[in-house]
Amino acid sequence: MTAGEVQRAEEELLARARNGDREAFGDLVGRYQDTVYTLALRLVGPDLAADVAQEALLRAWRALPRFRGEAAFATWLHRITVNTAWTLRRRARRHTAEPLEGDREDGGLLPERAGELAELRAGLTRALGCLTPGQRAVVVLRDVYGWSNSEAARELGITETTAKVRLHRARRRLRVLLEGVR
Amino acid sequence: MRRLRCFLADLAPGEGPPALAAHRESCLRCQAAGARERALGRALGALRDEVVAAPPGLQMRVLARLGRQDAFDPRRALIARAAARYAAAAGLAGATLAALLAGVLRRHSRALG
Repeated sequence: MTAGEVQRAEEELLARARNGDREAFGDLVGRYQDTVYTLALRLVGPDLAADVAQEALLRAWRALPRFRGEAAFATWLHRITVNTAWTLRRRARRHTAEPLEGDREDGGLLPERAGELAELRAGLTRALGCLTPGQRAVVVLRDVYGWSNSEAARELGITETTAKVRLHRARRRLRVLLEGVR
Repeated sequence: MRRLRCFLADLAPGEGPPALAAHRESCLRCQAAGARERALGRALGALRDEVVAAPPGLQMRVLARLGRQDAFDPRRALIARAAARYAAAAGLAGATLAALLAGVLRRHSRALG
């Protein structure tokens, strides 16, 4: 299947899901559940990630008639995930700073990599888990997913200045944590 | 003075007045900090390619809980929270302004009377 055919198939699934076709939405969930879960895991850690992913996908289903295709479906889904993560985190009020690595029993990273790079990434993932939830959200959206400051601020319901301050503090803390590991 | 410039350069990476930019170009410590910052950015960016498998059964759980589609805006709670925050800030600012004005008017009336 070429990239164009994949795109067309997805558009068809989206059109059907927008009209209430649950089977088509199930296919979309199958395609995107891993990326949604990964984002949730990075935003809120392993305790809440599965709940966030599930709730985000349910919200996406409810909101699908609003989806007009101005952004890519994945981008739209990511925004919903960020919003859901923020809402559930506030609700749960779990300000734990546990490492994110505890959630790996169900599949691990794809693709698997070995050696120094994997060690650095494991350290980075652990360090991300040590940030405050607000700092972690900004640094994940900005530096991992490449969002702009204004996009991250809008989706997190904070000002752009707050986003910049959190990003700066998060990067500084990450540097300190990673240098401590080496 | 040099430490202060390093501190300021660290506070505003890639930004700031020309004096800070010139300091960054000449300071080995700041250059090393910049290199570490870029390396961190690259490492974080590389995380984007990694995907963690969702827990087994997530798809089934989602499909089992699908309700009706009502074009619900997922950002509604966030927008409501932000609106409440702005309204509270505006209320506080209004009350402060009113108190200040009342004080000024009272002082004026005392001076006149």
